[in-house]
Amino acid sequence: MRRTVAAFGVLALVLALLLVLNLNMGSVSVPPGRVLEILMGHGRSDTAGKIVFTIRLPRLIAAAVLGGALAVAGFLLQTFFANPIAGPFVLGISSGSKLTVALSMIWCLSAGRTMSSAGMILSAFLGAATAMGLILLISGRVRKMSVLVICGVMIGYICSAVTDFAVTFADDANIVNLHNWSRGSFSGMSWSSVRAMLPVAGIALILSFLLSKPMSAYQMGEQYARNLGVDLRKFRVALILLSSVLSACVTAFAGPISFLGVAAPHLMKRLLGTAKPILMIPACFLGGAGFCLLCDLLARTLFAPTELSISTVTAVFGAPIVICMMVARGRERVA
Amino acid sequence: MTDTRLLLETRSLTVGYGERIVASAVDAAIKAGELLVLLGPNGSGKTTLLKTIAGQLAPLHGAVFLAGKDLNTVSGSDRSKKLSLLSTERPAGELMTCREVVSAGRYPYTGRLGILSDRDREVAERCMERMGALELAETPFDSISDGQRQRVLLARALCQEPEVLVLDEPASYLDIRYQLELVEALKRLSREDGLAVVVSLHELDLARRCGGRILCLREGRVDRLGTAEEIFAGDYLEKLFSLPAGSLQNTGAPEGFSHYVQSEGKRLRCGYTTGTCAALAASGAARALLTGAFPESVSLVTPKGIRVEVPLEACEQDETRAACGVRKDAGDDVDCTAGALICAEVRFRQKPGVEIDGGAGVGRVTKPGLDQPVGAAAINSTPRRMILEAVEAVCRTVEYDGGLQVTVSVPQGEELAKKTLNGDLGVLGGISILGTSGIVEPMSHQALVDTIALELRQAYALGHRRVILTPGNYGTAFLREQGLDAFGVPVVKCSNYIGDALDEAVSLGYEELLLAGHLGKLIKLAGGIMNTHSRQADCRRELITAHAAVCGGSRELCQALMECATTDACLELLEREGRMEQVMESLIGEIGKHLQKRAQGIQAGAMVFSNERGLLGVTPEAKTMTDRWRMAAGEGK
Repeated sequence: MRRTVAAFGVLALVLALLLVLNLNMGSVSVPPGRVLEILMGHGRSDTAGKIVFTIRLPRLIAAAVLGGALAVAGFLLQTFFANPIAGPFVLGISSGSKLTVALSMIWCLSAGRTMSSAGMILSAFLGAATAMGLILLISGRVRKMSVLVICGVMIGYICSAVTDFAVTFADDANIVNLHNWSRGSFSGMSWSSVRAMLPVAGIALILSFLLSKPMSAYQMGEQYARNLGVDLRKFRVALILLSSVLSACVTAFAGPISFLGVAAPHLMKRLLGTAKPILMIPACFLGGAGFCLLCDLLARTLFAPTELSISTVTAVFGAPIVICMMVARGRERVA
Repeated sequence: MTDTRLLLETRSLTVGYGERIVASAVDAAIKAGELLVLLGPNGSGKTTLLKTIAGQLAPLHGAVFLAGKDLNTVSGSDRSKKLSLLSTERPAGELMTCREVVSAGRYPYTGRLGILSDRDREVAERCMERMGALELAETPFDSISDGQRQRVLLARALCQEPEVLVLDEPASYLDIRYQLELVEALKRLSREDGLAVVVSLHELDLARRCGGRILCLREGRVDRLGTAEEIFAGDYLEKLFSLPAGSLQNTGAPEGFSHYVQSEGKRLRCGYTTGTCAALAASGAARALLTGAFPESVSLVTPKGIRVEVPLEACEQDETRAACGVRKDAGDDVDCTAGALICAEVRFRQKPGVEIDGGAGVGRVTKPGLDQPVGAAAINSTPRRMILEAVEAVCRTVEYDGGLQVTVSVPQGEELAKKTLNGDLGVLGGISILGTSGIVEPMSHQALVDTIALELRQAYALGHRRVILTPGNYGTAFLREQGLDAFGVPVVKCSNYIGDALDEAVSLGYEELLLAGHLGKLIKLAGGIMNTHSRQADCRRELITAHAAVCGGSRELCQALMECATTDACLELLEREGRMEQVMESLIGEIGKHLQKRAQGIQAGAMVFSNERGLLGVTPEAKTMTDRWRMAAGEGK
């Protein structure tokens, strides 16, 4: 109990610190005092004010919410597959979204229309659901998680290849944006995108949290869950839908973000010393948000004014964690 | 439990997966407080049936009724409050403590988010305590042994507060100690808590131990439903498991102890004596005290040469002492100490050497004439020697040369002693720790008489026309002492069935018969009592007293004789009065008369001894017979 409180305290503190840093760091440094003023609603019209309020603040909120959503999606998938290496990126679900979003964007642009946020989310969800369906089909045939992960990575590659192909032959000025997006980035996040993503991600997150009781039963094993009265079919459908919506939401706005969905839940488990969903879901949200904020901060500032793609940074931190986990697992039992 | 509601019922139930039928036409019903064992070969449909009963699989045809309601119409949450399943699925307990795993059983009772109430915590605590898993509460679930895991999972199943408990092969991967513990737990849950328990087992011994009805599945059908006695009778199990006849000859015995007395068509299982139990327990406790951990099981070789290996029970220890118990297995013998727990506690002691004493439930000798002196614990010399050897062997292996104090106790000893003759013998406060061979040979009347008859017949068939009968182990030892075992005359143990043995010997056509036995037994023959079991008749003191009176003994002597605890004590009194030889002669004469009368037509003599005094007397027939044997043997040399 004490550990839980301490863990959440640490998470809140780190998150607060990152929020402040994200607001005042960048190509133009804004002192914290000024940031506070801007947040309170004063002096939003000057350059610093515009930078903080219209650029950094929505970007920061998006990074936090989407990062959190991705981590929770990862945790849901890990619970579903009973494997800590599962995640939206690893299983190719993010890439599936990427493909459908890219295709529909190109189609819209060539038709001379702009895509609405809702349209983006919907097409991302379709892609996520398709990739998920594919993975489920494969998981029905192979029980080995390592094979499943390889299949996921391959699906990811195929989707990326098709996306690149489409992007290469799409002739439009917006291609640069599309290219940036397809590599994963929080740049250009506006208040309108934040307003679009918040309700979707918010509802999915709340529903995920409400699923924590059957999830805890499911963690012990299928037969145990069924014995305790869990309707496994409904539960599974809910889990799949929620994780698809969450990862689709992320991909629709920020493109595919690698490894965060695996790394953040793993770190949270270590921090909390438990895998209880009722604690893990909020912790994953906070941890994912922090992780994403840190990575975005680094992406923006390391080689400023050039921006790195967010996936580049998350991969640097996340991939080693995933490798460590796979090695540790391999040692425990040959999967 | 007076509650005998029908809790679980299947009506023409067919189970399987999709199109594939695994078992069909299963009709069974289980009441509260009942334990039903499912037995059958692999692939006979046990697991599928259990899964269907537990609501994990939908029935293909027919229905399962849980407390009168069709399981199909019961919601998952309602079902889980009534029925709990312990499946073979190895649960993932990532980062969970055992307490958390057990508390997971509260699922149907908690709210939307599954937060535990005080009552939920209380129930979880109680269930862990009930299953002996409380000390594991804060231990990570992933780090405990298979046996401990099963305890925790059983506590978790109970945590659902079910009325029906379904267990699928819960004993697999468990060592014998945990297996027995599991069976005991299931029996308790059904008997004391009134749960209906359905359990599938692969272990035949455990199935038998469960004591409930057994449902046998074979090739997807209920092959038989009956009590353990019915199922284990004959060669049914060999048929059930499609085994060649005779394959299961040695599996009837629990705990891996299976030694049989064979007689015509009947097999009787031997057990081991309280002395063997005490020595085994002492060995286990000594090992725990000196090494810090109880062994999984202990074993020793009994004086009879048969190895006994048993699990330990009621193990407890701290820095200064260790105690544990061994349950007495009397085999097929009818014995009031069957199933009693014989405990031994071992402590460090200042002086070197091993001291043995009796604690609660072990009698104390208050009258003379017994194996042990007055004031000593009623642990006979052979058990004492066995305890000493067992404990010394442990000391040797761990190179400990200090002193140890062994205290043998029997938790139910005082109660059990009321069913024995101990009170009359002057052993008060508990039972005696006995046994000269370490092994109990079953004593059921007909079987034993058959065995005796068989032995007599075999010897006769081998051409022997002379035979020595003796009631038991004291007799064989005595014969050895007297050198009477050296003439090639077969020695047949006849236990208390002297009359039966005589009849058989006569009808077979033996020519010479020598009966050698302890005065305590053979004195009964002086009264014409040919079955010397103490349940049949006693009369020992009365016979001695009558003969003492005939020989001119005073009234005081006669009164004192009637007070004696044992025949040995009587002899001591007579010796003091200088009348022993006279009285013995009179008694032996009478024994001889009765023997002759029963064994008509053949030469029959008797030889009487006591442990303290050796040979007490021989009948004239016995004298001429043994002299002849000695002479014949001498000539042969």
